[in-house]
Formats: sequence, structure tokens, C-alpha cells
Amino acid sequence: MGFSGKEKPIKENDLLKEVMKYRKIDSHAHVYFTDDSPQTQLDFADRLGIEKMVISRPMAPGSKGLPEEFIACNDLIIGVVSKFPDRFIGQPTINPAYPKEAMEEIKRCMDHGMCGLKLYNHVKLSDPLFYPIIEKYIDMKMIILMHVGIGKSRVIFDAREPENVSTPEDFVIAAERYPEAMFQLAHLGGGGDWLDACKAVRPYPNVYVDVSGSNNEADIIPFALEYVGEDRMFFGCDNSFYQGVGHVLAADLTESQRKKLFFENYNNILKMSGNHVDR
Amino acid sequence: MDAHGIAASVLTNINGIFYKDTQAANQELYDEINTSRKWKDRLIPFAVINPVYSGWKEDLKISTTRLGMKGVRIFPKYHRYTLDHPECIELVKMVRDMGLPIGLTLRMVDSRPSSWLDITDEWKLSDIMPLVEAVPDAKFMVLNVAGSTQLEKEQVELLKKTDLFIDTSGRNIINLGEMLKTFGKDKFGFGTHSPILDYRTGALRIAALREDEADAATKADLQAGNIIRFLGL
Repeated sequence: MGFSGKEKPIKENDLLKEVMKYRKIDSHAHVYFTDDSPQTQLDFADRLGIEKMVISRPMAPGSKGLPEEFIACNDLIIGVVSKFPDRFIGQPTINPAYPKEAMEEIKRCMDHGMCGLKLYNHVKLSDPLFYPIIEKYIDMKMIILMHVGIGKSRVIFDAREPENVSTPEDFVIAAERYPEAMFQLAHLGGGGDWLDACKAVRPYPNVYVDVSGSNNEADIIPFALEYVGEDRMFFGCDNSFYQGVGHVLAADLTESQRKKLFFENYNNILKMSGNHVDR
Repeated sequence: MDAHGIAASVLTNINGIFYKDTQAANQELYDEINTSRKWKDRLIPFAVINPVYSGWKEDLKISTTRLGMKGVRIFPKYHRYTLDHPECIELVKMVRDMGLPIGLTLRMVDSRPSSWLDITDEWKLSDIMPLVEAVPDAKFMVLNVAGSTQLEKEQVELLKKTDLFIDTSGRNIINLGEMLKTFGKDKFGFGTHSPILDYRTGALRIAALREDEADAATKADLQAGNIIRFLGL
């Protein structure tokens, strides 16, 4: 294989064929309060053969996290899913600092067919405020997706992060207290210290990781495979679609492992609550 | 490269960032490539030159003649100088006069999860504009476009006129179809930023373009044609 100006260009787009071979559930997706959403997200998903997107709209970072905020976020999701029920699975968000309103909101969202839970940075996952929420999700056999803060690799945590952002250690505390709960550690490619995260949660079979995010470092998936294992990894994009698909395809995975990451692992989680694809 | 159907790679020795004497890294790269004829056919070496370190003009001369380097990459943030440093501008002019490109990498690694020993600052696309404005007739390769691509209208117009190649590895190559319209279809081409980033994402951004964004000929140019022309291969 040489390289010269005489070489014929590749005519067949084999890469896209390879992409389309795999069914995909984006386990970490968002829609936005913008005019172009969800069309923009659907456009990327269509290009890359992403069949289902598990969407949420977390409250703005630095917001007070009031009930009216999370209700408005969830209303957005309810509206989007009702328009595109074949493409999206809705995930509610809440703030456990408002226990009564949070529980009522979970019920309201479940009544609208939503599934799982997306949490951001208002309260740490290990905070006792989350105990009743986690217990509720154990009963519902649904997974809890929690954002992870960035910058720990520099030892001093990133100054932009709010005080209550969760770290991998918060997952460890929650997973130890509730071994029957299911937690999704967000976006290994999201700017956090993915090596630290994988090593922290390695011993906890009830902690899963999603590989979404804009940082498509080539070592993320091989490292997660070694430390977390092929059954606890989910494909996801977190709105970085090419990276999400690209680094799964680039990793040295077997066909079986690709299928697990892209689709089967997350679908198995959905299956526990009867919300799986192809039910 | 074989696993992903890559015929050839433009590369530098990453040690050129860390060695005080970048020429040692250039020599290493030359020696490594010359261990086998098959590497010479497929690996296109660029030198790393540090224009604030003594002897850089001689390093440049040796690299582009005896070592056969096809371009120069500079790493001002790692080597602690600014793009408007007179020696940097002199280097770019010298490289221009040789008909070779200057490679500017907006970031080597994502500064968020990177080592505490690494630098913390990254470039936005606008940060390289002072150098383009200073030497507008140079050839520039802009690599790993991770930072914002927001530019003033005048800056966009300047880049459109510049002999420029932007690779597809960076995270802010989000909507390549629109970028082709904005900057021109001849300005872009496949890149991976490997081995730091994965080998597929940069290719996927091209493969996923729709027919109305890039026809088969344009895709072929993005995959290889544009870089062949840019480097005069």
C-alpha cells in the first residue's frame, strides 16, 4: 500500500456501512430549549444509525434547582418524546433537596412513560437526601445517571465545578450503601479523569459507565474494558456524536463487545423495568 | 494504519514537545522511518522546530534537506513563546520561502483530564490568527481543532484566501458540511490526532456527510486529495 497522487480515491464508503451495521441506543443524550432541538440531535442520530436516544434536560449549572426548574426541564422532555416516541426515551431530572416535589415529579414523569433518572450537580450522589430517591429506583428497577465533575486529575478539583458536583468517590459510597441499585457514571469522555473513575468503581458491579463526551482519547475504551468490563459499559454521545460512535469503532473490540456497548447492555437495563427496545 | 485503511500518515515525533533540543527528536524520527523502506513510502515526517532555542535555523536546514522533512510543526505553548514572537514569525517566513507548511495544533490533549504536569491552556481558532495575519502567504496546517471556531468576518475572509489545511480530528469539527461552505472544500482533510485521539472519529466526520454536502469527488478530496495537493505529494 503506497501513497502517491496516482492512487485511486476510495469510492466505496465502507466506514459508514460499518457504522450502520450496529443497532445503537445513546445512553446519554440531551435535547435543549432551542429552536433547532431536537432536529439537530435527530439529524446526527440519523447520519450515524442511532436508533434510540435516552434524553434528559438537566437544570442549568449554578441554578437554584427549584421544583419549577426541574418541572420545566421535564416538560420539555415529555413534549419531545410525545413527538418522536420511536426515537427518544425520556429521562426525568429532579433535585432531592425538595423531597416531596422530587417524588411527585418522578411519579408524574413515570406516568408519562419516562424511564431512569438524570442528575446533575446540585446535590452529591452520596448525600443522604438521595436515599429515598435511590430506594425508589431500586423498587422501579431503573438506573440513575449522575453527572461527574471534571478536573480531578490536576489533584486540585477544577475551580469551575460547583461544590456539590459528584466525583467517582460519591458513586463508591452510594454503590456500597445500595448494592441493589444501578448507577451510571456519566461520560468517561466528558472531561473528567476517566482513569481515576474506572479505577474507583471497578469493584462495584452495580456501577456502569457511559463512554460519551467530546474527549475521544483512544485509550478510554480499552481502559474501561480492562477495569470495568464489557458488561458495564454503555455507548453514549452526550451530544458529541462522531466521537461517541468513532471511539467505539476504533477500539479493538470483538463483534460481540461492539453489540454489547452499542445496544445490548443498555437494553438489558431497560428490560428490567419493561422499557426495553423491541418489547 | 493498516487496520483502518490508512495509506499514509503525516507525523512528528512527540518527543519534540518535551526535549529541550527538538532536533534530537527530528533525528529520532528520521532514524525510525529509515529502519525500513516500507515506512518511507507511508510516513511523511514533519520537523519540530523551537524558534526560541539556539541553533534552530541550522536545525530547520538539516531537517528540510538531509532529513527530508515535508513541513514544520511548532508548539509555542509547550516551548514558552508567543505566536507574535519575532523569531516565530521569522521561522514561519523561512518555512514559507521553502514552500513548506507550518503545522499549528490547537491542543495536544484535553486539558481537563490531562496530567497535572501538562500545560493548561488551549488555543481557539482565533488565537492563531495573528500569525496568519503576520505571514498571510505562508501555508498553514491547523490540527486538532478542539477550541472554538468562532471568528470575525474579516478573519474568515483571510482564512479563505490562505493556503490552509484543517484536519478533521478536532472536537469542534461539529458540522463539517457547514464548514466546507464557510471556508471552502479544499481547506479540509482527514486527520486523526492519533495516537492521542481515536482512529475513527476524524474519518467518520467525512463519511457521514450527505450527498448535498459533499459528493463522491469531494469526499475523495477530503480523504486524500486535498492533502496530496497541499503537500505536493
